[in-house]
Amino acid sequence: MTRSEDHQLVARVVSGGDTDAFGELVQRHQSHVRNFLRKLTGDYTMADDLAQDTFMHAWDKLRTYSGKGTFIGWLLKVAYTTFLQSRRKAKRYAEILEEAGHVADIEGRKSTTPEEEAGDLERFLAVLTDEERAIMVMSYACGLSHREISDATEMPVGTVKSVIFRGKEKIRTAFDIKDHQHG
Amino acid sequence: MTSKIINMAEHIKDDADRMLESMFASDPIADDGFSVRVVRKVRRRIWVRRLTLPLATLIGAAISAKPITGLVTTFAGFAQLVPRDIVDLPYDALPQLPYVILGAMLLATCMVGLRSLED
Repeated sequence: MTRSEDHQLVARVVSGGDTDAFGELVQRHQSHVRNFLRKLTGDYTMADDLAQDTFMHAWDKLRTYSGKGTFIGWLLKVAYTTFLQSRRKAKRYAEILEEAGHVADIEGRKSTTPEEEAGDLERFLAVLTDEERAIMVMSYACGLSHREISDATEMPVGTVKSVIFRGKEKIRTAFDIKDHQHG
Repeated sequence: MTSKIINMAEHIKDDADRMLESMFASDPIADDGFSVRVVRKVRRRIWVRRLTLPLATLIGAAISAKPITGLVTTFAGFAQLVPRDIVDLPYDALPQLPYVILGAMLLATCMVGLRSLED
């Protein structure tokens, strides 16, 4: 999966609206995007719906991809924005329900994550904020560099580093890990 | 040099990093028709967008047909009120081709000038 191949496919989509080239891009990156959203939401069905929305947004905004960073970095930025938008919608929906006198069950809905994967990771992620979650997943699950995360979240690199540091401190405390460094 | 040090610092891993990496590690997710569904959705959206404008034009034309007919009838009535000598203008009174071309060139020059002023 090379960067130049991605750029060639993007060029085909932007210049001629080539849906086959876009299909190839989706095929190449769907695993990363779905994995990112699954870890972010903790809900497989919702994550896959958001992943579809992400690719639809990507189709609409592909012209805005400058080609500077990696394509997956740009795609995860779109995925993160889509996730935040859905969160805001869900929150607004819950507020409307509350105003109407109904008990909202947005947060407490049943997770569709398989039991075996909802172990240590879910317990750890539960103590993180949405922002911390997104950055930790981008760093450790997707293997993005601090610079790429900074581009995706529109945060300074220093802030990204401190969020990762904070996340690591939380896991150190939660799992009682001693601080030994390895090269 | 500084960026090299930063990159090196990024690669130094401690126990927490290793634990996080193993916790976050997961097998690639199989496509299972996901990309086909997305592409189908994209193609549907393209068709919807292509059809929207002609359809909106047709609906607009259908809705506005009656008021437009009324307007045309009213203007036809007004045209009959115009004095006869204005309607029967001689051919010479109309602007000739060289003047039309000169006017078009002047208009084009003005538009280009305005655009460059805007830039």
